[in-house]
Amino acid sequence: MRNKSIEEINEKIVDGSVHVVTADKMSEIVSELGVEEAAKEVDVVTTGTFGPMCSSGVFINFGHADPPIKMKRVWLNDVEAYTGIAAVDAYLGATQPSEDKGAEYGGGYVIEDLVAGKPIEMKAIGYGTDCYPRKEIGTTITLEDLNQAMMLNPRNSSQRYVVATNSTDRTLYTYMGTLLPNYRNANYCGAGALSPLFNDPDFETIGVGTRIFLSGAGGYVIGEGTQHNPVNSFGTLMVAGNLKEMSAEFLKGATFYGYGVTLYVGIGIPIPVLNEGIARKTGISDGDIVTEVLDYGVSRRDRPVLRRVTYEELKSGLIEIEGKEVPTSPLSSFYMASKIAAELKRGLEAGKFLLSLPVERLPTDTVFKPMKQTKELPLVKDVMTREVKTISERASIGDAAKLIMETQITHIPVISKESKLVGIVTAWDISTAVAKRHEDLAEIMTRKVMTADPEEPLELVIRKLEKYNISALPVIDKDRKVIGMITSDEISKLIGKRGKWQWRLRI
Amino acid sequence: MKLLLRRFSSRLHETPYTAEVILETGAKINIDRANVDAVRADLIIDVPEDKVERVAALFREKGVEVRKLVKLIAWDETRCVHCGACISVCPTGVFKFDPSWNISVEEEKCVRCEVCVKACPLGALACVE
Ligand code: SF4
Ligand code: SF4
Repeated sequence: MRNKSIEEINEKIVDGSVHVVTADKMSEIVSELGVEEAAKEVDVVTTGTFGPMCSSGVFINFGHADPPIKMKRVWLNDVEAYTGIAAVDAYLGATQPSEDKGAEYGGGYVIEDLVAGKPIEMKAIGYGTDCYPRKEIGTTITLEDLNQAMMLNPRNSSQRYVVATNSTDRTLYTYMGTLLPNYRNANYCGAGALSPLFNDPDFETIGVGTRIFLSGAGGYVIGEGTQHNPVNSFGTLMVAGNLKEMSAEFLKGATFYGYGVTLYVGIGIPIPVLNEGIARKTGISDGDIVTEVLDYGVSRRDRPVLRRVTYEELKSGLIEIEGKEVPTSPLSSFYMASKIAAELKRGLEAGKFLLSLPVERLPTDTVFKPMKQTKELPLVKDVMTREVKTISERASIGDAAKLIMETQITHIPVISKESKLVGIVTAWDISTAVAKRHEDLAEIMTRKVMTADPEEPLELVIRKLEKYNISALPVIDKDRKVIGMITSDEISKLIGKRGKWQWRLRI
Repeated sequence: MKLLLRRFSSRLHETPYTAEVILETGAKINIDRANVDAVRADLIIDVPEDKVERVAALFREKGVEVRKLVKLIAWDETRCVHCGACISVCPTGVFKFDPSWNISVEEEKCVRCEVCVKACPLGALACVE
């Protein structure tokens, strides 16, 4: 087959003869007609995605006040925007929480309210200079009053997301949503076969300057997104568009409970079917797209991979993890993603949306590097006390009381015959036990003991101590043998303590 | 129909008032949810339609506040983006996707555990009284 050019397709768009299909239909067409026929038949494949995209925000220019101000800090509905640029320019980030409402309201919501035409309370403080004497201002603005409101999102439209689940016995509230204990659910994200980057995985047509649908307006890809990692199918895009032309239907402020504010953004990218190779790639289906299920119960950068799974399985609503049937939830919206792909298709068919040739290709060989950490965090094993006093579960309360008195240690791990940790007993438990006339240690000890791992970074242990308001943790090895203790007193001696439960690492 | 029972008096707690109502009415009551704290106890029960009036009256006689729950879970359809975050967290399967990936809500199944209220990123769900 003769290859098509973007110009030819644009001519067809203008004269109304262009043949456009949405990406989910393209997989059917390719499997029915074969790649060669599909490439002849179809001119453009439209893709779409609608999901939480934290790395989003808007550059705003407010215009000058009289007397003028050079803003030092500015707030929109009590949400701070970054003003370390020119006098009345600011960048409002989607995840910035509100000063008074916290994560209930924030940057994403301000962006949605602006687009919905709602009035926004603005206040700012200034430096007070000879050219910008004013030091304070408060006013009400709407999107119309702004000179420019340019959406510029450093990382959108991720190609792939991991699936999140939770092995622990506590509910976790994450940027991947609410994760119930013991693998009771699994959350995923992304539009599967409709996803823009999965339809052009080698960035043949999506590049710098590609015209896209951005939340109801025409926008552009302006470069590779942050964390762009095409080698591992985690490509991302940096995009820009005029907020003034966008629609609130495709921009929604949202809150992930316990994590924070974000913004749902809608992106649609037309893929010109220039040749058979592109036809084959746009023929991708949910069954071809594989991602990994990770255990978010592990608070480390490299979370354990539990299994690999396709979007087809995820979209069925149930997947198997460790022998259990686990219900799945997408966090992005397939309904809205299809709507975007369909809207883009209509725009092309009506001659309102022309394709552009990228002026530069995006890199296809980069990876996402971890942060360079020059100051290593101490690990639990570096700071734990190794001389631990333990007590047998068959001991009496009197024995425990004696041990506590002699050693002045307030938390004593209780161990079984095989020296495995089975509980913990504190001075407080002993005094209540005496008051209630209990005799056996096994009766009064706490059996559900929070523990620490010797290889765990201290920071994570501090978070555990704070979160559950406890003051000591036994450190155990793989066989549940107690090999150390870590206490809040020791940590504070070691790294200093400012205010109650306010730790700062002095390293 | 679901009823919300609320009692403040701690004295009441010493009498088996729920059992008494069940025995007196013969109603097959299901306890969907119970929340007890120092001040009050809230119970959500599911009562067969034909016994609702009688059960409600008896609880009231015993000094329990009774409210009929007409709205179990309030879903703001205009705010909803059909993301499906509510589906996997709901213990009773209230939420489902229809074939076009729209959310459908089977309200009768709701036991008002409120897990979905936190899980909905759009704030489109609420347990109202
Ligand atoms: S989580 Fe909220 S927004 Fe998402 S589908 Fe459920 S109700 Fe709609
Ligand atoms: S309140 Fe609980 S039972 Fe009711 S819909 Fe929400 S998650 Fe389901």
